[in-house]
Amino acid sequence: MRTPGTDFHTHPLLVREMVERHPELAKAARETYYIGNNFQPLETFHLELNLAGIEKAVVLPMDASTAVGAVVWTNEHIAELCRMSTRFIGFASVDPHREDAPERLRCAIQTLGLRGLKLSPPTQRFFPDDALAYPLYETARDLGVPILFHAGMSWEPGSRLQYGHPMRFESVAAEFPKLRIVLAHLAWPWVLEAVALALKYPNVYLDTSALYFDNPRDFLRFAMTHQVPLTVFERSLRKQLVFGSNYPRVEIKNMAAAIDSLGFSEECLNLVFRYNADALLEASR
Amino acid sequence: MIVKLIRIEVQSHQDLEMIDITVQIERAIAESGVRNGFAWAMSAHTSAGLLVTEGIECLERDVLAHLERLAPKQPPEGTYGYWHNRHLDFDGRLGFNAGDHLKSILGGVNCFFPVENGKMVRGSRQKAYFVEYDGPLARTVLIQVLGEGSANEES
Repeated sequence: MRTPGTDFHTHPLLVREMVERHPELAKAARETYYIGNNFQPLETFHLELNLAGIEKAVVLPMDASTAVGAVVWTNEHIAELCRMSTRFIGFASVDPHREDAPERLRCAIQTLGLRGLKLSPPTQRFFPDDALAYPLYETARDLGVPILFHAGMSWEPGSRLQYGHPMRFESVAAEFPKLRIVLAHLAWPWVLEAVALALKYPNVYLDTSALYFDNPRDFLRFAMTHQVPLTVFERSLRKQLVFGSNYPRVEIKNMAAAIDSLGFSEECLNLVFRYNADALLEASR
Repeated sequence: MIVKLIRIEVQSHQDLEMIDITVQIERAIAESGVRNGFAWAMSAHTSAGLLVTEGIECLERDVLAHLERLAPKQPPEGTYGYWHNRHLDFDGRLGFNAGDHLKSILGGVNCFFPVENGKMVRGSRQKAYFVEYDGPLARTVLIQVLGEGSANEES
């Protein structure tokens, strides 16, 4: 029986109480994030976590003002949600194209109490190794907060896959060895490249929130036992892999059950579901 | 003639779950003012349903287990797969819950009761259930009451 864990990758877009307070969030969910599910009471999010054996969830916004003229939840919205439930860990998002991006990140961490940064190069339309983002990386490093990058495939119609290729993260990993970066979605379909980066750079982590065909069990079995042998994750990357669901694009219960079914040892499951996330977030407590 | 449509929300707590909503239908009938007619209830969802059966916990388990056997969430490996397992651009996500939709079809999405002298008419062992096949979720059930009644009883 694994330890109750943390879901490192959720989007709180369907929380009804927030949409009722801020009606513009409904438009962001439908027209920018492209999610069609019904809005749900906060209780549903908690129940979903309970059912999956998950204690806490990282909740993510997205500021893509320059690229698509939209913000999917502001940092203030995330902070407001975190005040509604102790089970949420809020991350910030800033537009890397803005000159004041580092200052906005500093404010989100130090004033709003957020604990990490989410960036989505395919949606925000920048290459991770573009110098424009380096001041932001320096600030995140100095603040001691991790960056969760969208990597790999993105369904969003306005996004471009080329910005999410894992090899574009190598310079970031190499030039900022004290900055911890998490490549989301196993960077699928480029899982081998993402694994290569994580093997080489100890500051590179991967999250499991990948689902692009079939169902969570069969997809993750393909990605984590066929594309890359499970033993690579178990033996070499067990301290660099974190559980993420990508809720509500996928239910947390289904992703957790899929990871549980792969054949990891209990020790590895506890690292993936709990302790690796704790370590990533430790400096921002 | 009174025709009244009432929407209720049912919060499921489990992946598969049967929730007794008999009292909510009785309340809707009372609120409608209908004395003689009928009440009809419908789930507004395609991965949930309504059905009528005996209201005991052991039978609830059997109903859910039987529907899961008939339409499993994940078919046994090496047998068959679901066409629904693909990206649905209108939903912004994959649809991998065909088994839950199929259970909804098998179990049905509505139930129907006569109303006599302002009361729901049902067998002594019959209960009306909302059935969750893909929870936990907050779900909507529509209850429509139609029939004769007196104006002063209408709310």
